[in-house]
Amino acid sequence: MNDHQSVSIIMIEDDEGHARLIEKNIRRAGILNHITHFTDGTTALDYLFNAAAGPQRNGPALVLLDLNLPDMSGTDILAKIKAADGPLRRTPVVVLTTTDDKVEIQRCYDLGCNVYITKPVNYESFAQAIRQLGLFLSVIQVPETEG
Amino acid sequence: MFERIVLGFGVSEGRMQRFLLACMGLGFAALVAVGIAAGWSTARNEGHTRDVNHTYEVELAIDRARILIEQSETSRRGFVLTGEHVYLDTYRTSMVALPTLLTRIATLTRDNPRQQRTIASLRQMIAELAEQRERTIAVTLRGDQVAARTLFREETSARRMRAVRKLADAMVAEEQRLLAIRDAEQQASVRVFYATLALAGLLLVLVALVSLLTVRRYTRDLAASRDSLRDFADTLEDLVNERTADLTRANDEIQRFAYIVSHDLRSPLVNVMGFTAELESATATIGALIDRAEARAPDIVTPDDRLAAREDLPEAIKFIRTSTQKMDRLINAILKLSREGRRVIAPEPLDLDTMVDTIGASLTQQLDHRGATLTIARPLPAIVSDRLAIEQILSNLIENAVKYLSPDRAGQITVRGRREGQRVTIEVEDNGRGIAASDHQRVFDLFRRSGNQDQPGEGIGLAHVRALAYRLGGVIEMASELGQGTTFRLNLPAKLDTTNADTRESGT
Repeated sequence: MNDHQSVSIIMIEDDEGHARLIEKNIRRAGILNHITHFTDGTTALDYLFNAAAGPQRNGPALVLLDLNLPDMSGTDILAKIKAADGPLRRTPVVVLTTTDDKVEIQRCYDLGCNVYITKPVNYESFAQAIRQLGLFLSVIQVPETEG
Repeated sequence: MFERIVLGFGVSEGRMQRFLLACMGLGFAALVAVGIAAGWSTARNEGHTRDVNHTYEVELAIDRARILIEQSETSRRGFVLTGEHVYLDTYRTSMVALPTLLTRIATLTRDNPRQQRTIASLRQMIAELAEQRERTIAVTLRGDQVAARTLFREETSARRMRAVRKLADAMVAEEQRLLAIRDAEQQASVRVFYATLALAGLLLVLVALVSLLTVRRYTRDLAASRDSLRDFADTLEDLVNERTADLTRANDEIQRFAYIVSHDLRSPLVNVMGFTAELESATATIGALIDRAEARAPDIVTPDDRLAAREDLPEAIKFIRTSTQKMDRLINAILKLSREGRRVIAPEPLDLDTMVDTIGASLTQQLDHRGATLTIARPLPAIVSDRLAIEQILSNLIENAVKYLSPDRAGQITVRGRREGQRVTIEVEDNGRGIAASDHQRVFDLFRRSGNQDQPGEGIGLAHVRALAYRLGGVIEMASELGQGTTFRLNLPAKLDTTNADTRESGT
């Protein structure tokens, strides 16, 4: 990433356990960026678009998004982030979810998702996938947010 | 409703048949009676004709006898008057013919004692006449014509002749009387015949009428029940459609439920497995710590510490792992099944021969390894169905056959098929280890397996096959005997019609 300190990672994941495991493995991959964790869509959206420390007002970010949230579908959040004239449309979104349905994956990419990763149930594979994601995060360029 | 109609139908049909048969029997009986009456009447007629002929014969004979008697009397008188021998000759001829004629009359009337008595007195009378006549003839022959005439004048021949005539008349009258009786009898028999005829005719008309009415009523009933049956069929169709819609809805719900359940079960499972892995690495760290402690300060490590770090923890983790792995496989199976149920079915013409060939080729290694042969009874019937579904069904069945061959004999797997009207039956037969009768239904259930658990697998294949078969509007059944082999019989519509079937979109 451009700058480990400036690019914050926003994780929207309702399962605390998953969130913890993801964080652990990202850290093991050497990613030290700040991770902000949300367990529901509403607060996450509020943070993304309105919070003083949120990406819209406070620099580049990367979103880790789970599709199965208690209050709304992850695809709705994705659609809002990637809205054609939205301020966060260039923000990279990594969908990290248990759903491996073909149609759902297609829909996410249609909506502008940058990477879609299915959480493997097998923990070794899961850990490996997250670490690889970490390696990936360490090299990708994140654009500045507008506005 | 259906039962009631059938029941009512059957009863009326049986009773109706019996009734019509009875009517026909009655009609035939009447005809037979008419026939018998006609025969009897004809016989009576013949007898009567014979009797009439007989009467005429007797009358004729009596008349001839009278003529002869009169003739003989006339010729005698001629002879007595003239003495010419021509008269005598005529007289003799007449008198010779007379007894023969009388005998004939006696023979003809031998069954009638009255005629016999009359003829006896007639004979007697004629004999007396003849005696008298011979006397006058003898006198005439002597040439004494005067004496002869005197004798003739004195004799009572005229009275005797009258008596003879009266007797003959009596005989004729007797015959006439008999004839009259026979005539009356004949008329009576004719009357009986006509009466029988009329009765039988009446009976026939009656039977025909009753039969006609019954058949008409029956036909009306039949039409009525046909109509109600048609109405019933119509409602039945609606009912079936309704039920099918209900079932489809219920099935959809189950599919959705299965999907959600299996999907949502995955999330906690990821945690269980993930933190188990974390626990494992932590255990390794603790193990290392115990090692270090033992090396540097053995007195602080108790046997319990060692046991916990080196045995209890790894063992617990191992069990958690194997269990979660198994759970993961099961959840995946449910997910796969539910996903299969949501897949859009796309029917296309399929070449089953090639398909089975391909499946066989993919199993070549296992077949060779087990020394088994796969035979295809070509050609397999043509079918229009979903390629992927049929492929999965057949490969599951054939794989199962290969998997569960008997080690005692060379494996023989046969795939054959036939068309039956609008349906196609495909059989996969093996001579493998077979399935116990108690397990025949069970093997189609999810996660259920039969026999020795010596082969890898979760008990998903046949559940999947059955779900697919149902999805394609088909059924699957099996025939198997433990130790003998198994035949799976897949029955499918020859041409899958998706207009009514559910063509659901697959979703999340």
